[in-house]
Amino acid sequence: MKPHWQTWAEELKQEFPRAHSALLPLLHRIQTEEGWLSPETLADVATLLDLPVTTVESVASFYTLFYKRPVGRRVIHVCVGLPCALKGADALMHRLEAHLGIRQGQTTPDGAVSLFEAECLAACDLAPVAQVNLRYRGPVPPEAFEALLKEDE
Amino acid sequence: MADGQRYYLLRHREVPDIDQIAVYEAHEGYSALRRALKEFTPQAVVDLVKASGLRGRGGAGFPTGMKWGFLPNDGRPRYLVVNSDEAEPGTFKDRELIEHNPHQLIEGMVISAYAIGSHEAYIYCRGEFLHGAEQLRRAIREAYARGYLGENILDSGYSLDIHLYRGAGAYICGEESALLESLEGKRGQPRLKPPFPAVAGLYGQPTIVNNVETIANVPMLILHGAEWYRSMGTEKSPGLKIMSVSGHVRRPGNYEVPLATPLRTLIETYAGGVEPGQLKAIIPGGSSVPLLTPDQIDTPLDYESMMAAGTMLGSGGCIVMNDRTCMVAAAARLVKFYRVESCGKCTPCREGTYWMANVLERLEAGAGTDRDLELLLDLADNIGGKCLCPLGDASLGFMVSAIRHFRDEFEAHVREHGCPLGANRYDTVNH
Amino acid sequence: MIVDAAAKIGIEVPIYCYHPALGPLGACRMCLVQVEKMPKLVTGCTTPVAEGMVVHTRGPAVDKGRQGILEFLLINHPLDCPVCDKGGECFLQDYTFRYGPPAGRFSESKLERAKDAPISDFILIDQERCVLCQRCVRFLGEYAGEPQLMLKGRGVETVVAPADDRPVTSPFSGNVIDLCPVGALTSAAYRFKARPWNQVRYPSVCPHCPVGCPVTVTAREEHVMRVEGRPIPDRDWGWLCDRGRFGYDFAVHPSRLLTARLEGRPVPEAAALRQVARWLGEVRDRYGAGAVGFVVGGQHTVEDAYHLRRFAETLVGPGVQLAISQRVRGYLPPWLHGTYDDLEAADAVILIGADPYRAVPVLHLKLRQHWRRKPALPRWGVGVRPLGRETLPLRDLVVRPQAMAATLAWALQRAAKDHPAARAVAAGLGAWEPEDPAAAEALGHVLVASERPLLVWDGHDPEVETVLRALASVRGDRPTPVLPGFGPENARGFEWAGFPGGYEALRRLLEQAASGAIRFLAVWGADLMREVPDAGLVEAALARVEYAVFEGLFPPQGGERFGVWLPGAAWAEEAGTWSTLEGRLSPVAEAVAPPGDARPVRSILAGLARALKRPWTPEAWDPMVGTEAGLLPRPQRPEAEDLPSIAAPPPWRLAGDQLYVVAEADVFAQGAPSEILAPRRPAFWGRVHPETWAAFGSGPSGGRLTLEREGRRWTVSVGPDPTVPRGLLFLPIGVAEAPVYQIGEGPVTVAQPLEVRGG
Ligand SMILES: Cc1cc2nc3c(=O)[nH]c(=O)nc-3n(C[C@H](O)[C@H](O)[C@H](O)COP(=O)(O)O)c2cc1C
Ligand code: SF4
Ligand code: FES
Repeated sequence: MKPHWQTWAEELKQEFPRAHSALLPLLHRIQTEEGWLSPETLADVATLLDLPVTTVESVASFYTLFYKRPVGRRVIHVCVGLPCALKGADALMHRLEAHLGIRQGQTTPDGAVSLFEAECLAACDLAPVAQVNLRYRGPVPPEAFEALLKEDE
Repeated sequence: MADGQRYYLLRHREVPDIDQIAVYEAHEGYSALRRALKEFTPQAVVDLVKASGLRGRGGAGFPTGMKWGFLPNDGRPRYLVVNSDEAEPGTFKDRELIEHNPHQLIEGMVISAYAIGSHEAYIYCRGEFLHGAEQLRRAIREAYARGYLGENILDSGYSLDIHLYRGAGAYICGEESALLESLEGKRGQPRLKPPFPAVAGLYGQPTIVNNVETIANVPMLILHGAEWYRSMGTEKSPGLKIMSVSGHVRRPGNYEVPLATPLRTLIETYAGGVEPGQLKAIIPGGSSVPLLTPDQIDTPLDYESMMAAGTMLGSGGCIVMNDRTCMVAAAARLVKFYRVESCGKCTPCREGTYWMANVLERLEAGAGTDRDLELLLDLADNIGGKCLCPLGDASLGFMVSAIRHFRDEFEAHVREHGCPLGANRYDTVNH
Repeated sequence: MIVDAAAKIGIEVPIYCYHPALGPLGACRMCLVQVEKMPKLVTGCTTPVAEGMVVHTRGPAVDKGRQGILEFLLINHPLDCPVCDKGGECFLQDYTFRYGPPAGRFSESKLERAKDAPISDFILIDQERCVLCQRCVRFLGEYAGEPQLMLKGRGVETVVAPADDRPVTSPFSGNVIDLCPVGALTSAAYRFKARPWNQVRYPSVCPHCPVGCPVTVTAREEHVMRVEGRPIPDRDWGWLCDRGRFGYDFAVHPSRLLTARLEGRPVPEAAALRQVARWLGEVRDRYGAGAVGFVVGGQHTVEDAYHLRRFAETLVGPGVQLAISQRVRGYLPPWLHGTYDDLEAADAVILIGADPYRAVPVLHLKLRQHWRRKPALPRWGVGVRPLGRETLPLRDLVVRPQAMAATLAWALQRAAKDHPAARAVAAGLGAWEPEDPAAAEALGHVLVASERPLLVWDGHDPEVETVLRALASVRGDRPTPVLPGFGPENARGFEWAGFPGGYEALRRLLEQAASGAIRFLAVWGADLMREVPDAGLVEAALARVEYAVFEGLFPPQGGERFGVWLPGAAWAEEAGTWSTLEGRLSPVAEAVAPPGDARPVRSILAGLARALKRPWTPEAWDPMVGTEAGLLPRPQRPEAEDLPSIAAPPPWRLAGDQLYVVAEADVFAQGAPSEILAPRRPAFWGRVHPETWAAFGSGPSGGRLTLEREGRRWTVSVGPDPTVPRGLLFLPIGVAEAPVYQIGEGPVTVAQPLEVRGG
């Protein structure tokens, strides 16, 4: 547990009428710093917010953006929703998989890139769209997949 | 862009940098708030919204003024919660609104919260909307600095705090009671209703949940009045609606149209027509509604006409599919969406979407059997109307209508052991 | 709700997730019914009944809906009914037979998940069989307040699981086995032991603590297979604690006494009885019946006690000394004895010394529900350590040992200054004041002013009885119900059978034995050296009597003092009646035959009579006669009594090398041994404050301390516990390895040099 987490927890507990609400924001903040949420981190969060560990683990397990395993420095979410699929999202995904040598849901062995399917990212006008560390990139035609592996323009 | 188009909700397209508070203010920004606080009692705002006939833009189209009227008058604190969890496939209007004109939403929130007597409001923002959340966070800070939020707003004696809350990846959190659970830091699983949020919502207190677009409408109602609003649309569907157009069209994007604009105008004039190929099917209101066929393209975009056409205006997510689109694959993809997003609380949705997705994937892969279509329809019947929340039902609309309108295509998949169109196989599913 | 209303009139609406104690959830959707004028089927578990409502629980739409739900539940359910412990009593199996789809249409592969994974020392989970009804999660989380199970994941991937690396440790964990409608949560001890259809179920009462929870004992071929909760409509949900649920293997424990012994040697039972008869006859003939003492305790039924008394009175003669073994010095007069209805109606709850969570766990569950329903009511805990817990918040008033009665008397006197009874009990306090006078005053106010308080007492300090009497007198016509959170089990039943209750009777008997007036002492079921607060007196008594006879299940402490040991029948080996915490009689069945030479009291007495050459036919007696549906009668409150005054407690003095020993009941520590429960036995018998531990011990988790008093030494295992006040050492009652009553309560010296081994 890092000392400043305590401060964060206190701040967030103050913000809401019920301290329980602080759970999601605190998980977000800590994940942003740690990259993912290990069982130990979840136990720490439970302590910080005075919640049962089961509650914290259960909540974390419900949401797809909370990573329960380590992820790469670059997390790519390729939208595979219907509107993106109509515009070639699957081909985009396959190109990435082939290039990176991993399947969706996995992380490259060097820890550089994680590749995930996303359900509709609410950016269907940019189809096929992806997010890199939650920043939108689109449209990304399948053949332009490498744009997702480059630093932001 | 169509001639004579005037932007209201999408004003940022005319006014660059309107996300900056100075620019927003220079373009009548927060003048509606000023007026509301000065010239309107809270009840007068509620009456205005009632008179305007504004209906919720989150999907169900429930009259907003009427919803506000359900709040019990018992002195308990009340909350306003803005639903910015937009995740319905095909819908992307709220994202544009918060990314490009966050102050419009905030102004709408202050007026709405004032109207319903709330002093604490929340924006539940989809976890994936990182940029949108940053924009909102900044705008909230600016609004506080200028006295549009906080204690004694514009010397009116009225006070309001707004909190931004980020979701973390779960479509079901768009459903209002699941949203409230999530906002309380829990798993986003729907609650039993009744009690409805207006009676027992956030932390058990009376709560109004409204969509981003719904609330963004409120400032212009103050500025232009109910009559002006009613001059657009129909008696039962007055005003303006943002339609998100995606799929096989030349210009995908959001378009702000008066309700009752024909679907054809939206697709052909605004979105530039179908490209490539010919029109095959349209989902007019987000992934949860049945499809329309090309012969229905003149249906007006309003709640009642869509209902009459056998579908719904929903959230306004219009997905256009051309004649190269495999309906089995499309259905498989959409049902898979619901399978992934089912919260898992109730049996028919949890198991039913899983089963349907399996069958559809098998069909699509050419391994279907003669009995699969009947099976799918029967499963749909066993899910329909039997779930705890509307998500289970939402998973059925497209699939059932696709089987109805394109039955031969489904049968051909069985007969020919694969897609007669040779369409791409969606094999990202189910790794 | 519709399902409850239907059940009342005998119509089954199938359910999984609903449980009336847990409230509606509406998750499984199994309970679909059709309500006229409603467009869709509705869930019967979430829809309240209303005047004029017409509900159809069958019909094409309902049947199809049900079939659909069952089919959905079955698609990811394994086809392992033949090897499933729940087979034969599974809701999924039953409903599938009754309402199920004709044939499976699911041709995909089923999801694979954890099977037979332990979630605790006693419970296995099979996630594939789980129907996600959430009963287990909700029971532990909401009902017991120990959220050690959770839903993990989302959608079809959701499973029930404990948190990462944290097994379920709640003492109420076993209830999830009863709650699970399918075979997802099963008992490790019962695994593959038996099938529901080849065993017999017997109604009974749990014998392991004074609560006396209703249970069902299942037996097969003379073996108890398991113990389950036995719900009683409108009265009890059938929850058990793990002590009661899993502790049934004591009857087959290797240390069980299976043959009679004479001076330590195994002998045929008849020989032992002949010897007993000789001794008994000799003493009776020479010194009269008054020189014979009978003490009853242990797992004996009300009828056993009755026969013992009648035997004593008729075959030995009038004047036999009788007593019930006791574990505390306090006594609750029957007229103050409360019921669960009193708890239900209570507008204030005051725990006096009692920690129900440790001592009488299911009462804790009941108190917790009362708190959940009415959280705002005043709730107090008065003890030598804080009694409130996260699962049952209380306002804690911590008093020094020996100051309990004085504090209560002071509080009472403050709240009812002018009442003679209050004045009388407080007269001896003088200028003494409790440590926290403001809190004590507030407590006094609650005691006096609330309309229907409910008290729970641990019986530790006998003088509290006086204060309770005074309180009742002050309260006049308003009730002052007290639940006794102390044993022995079935104590009220023994009283009903004619044994005098209370520690005083026992003390008198033991003193007479110690003084030589009693020469023959028979102890039935009780382990006096272990359980009686004054072990010195017991020792003296046993040392002095000419003949001591022991009957029971396990060799008693100081067993060499008993010339004869007679193996007795255990609970579930003999039919009879049992009294519970609220003083209610309930039948216990004979589920199995006693093993070896073990005999029920009845037949031991018959044998003894034969050996005495006296006719003896145990008379038929129905203990239910005179009760109100089993509830033992409550006498009237006595007219104004002369109450003694409570003395001010001695000043608190503890030398630097001393600890103050306090005895406390703990169901997992005390009582009959169980191998199933071994993992739950406390790691250390003694508990001290962490700072106290740091001062005397070493190592963070615990170790051993040698205690010394008047030249005698005991070595006990001790560990730190932050809820224990500094300087105190809590030891459980009834544990041979930490014989608290032999060590004696009060200050003891920690022996030097410290003999400490870290744990
Ligand atoms: C599964 C499901 C998902 C939903 N998602 C959203 C959403 O993303 N945004 C939204 O505003 N409403 C969503 N809704 C509708 C909300 O429950 C609620 O009706 C709406 O926020 C009310 O706002 P309105 O009256 O302004 O439309 C969803 C409903 C369901 C059943
Ligand atoms: S229909 Fe049931 S499982 Fe599906 S999202 Fe709603 S509550 Fe959850
Ligand atoms: S019993 Fe009614 S929904 Fe489960």
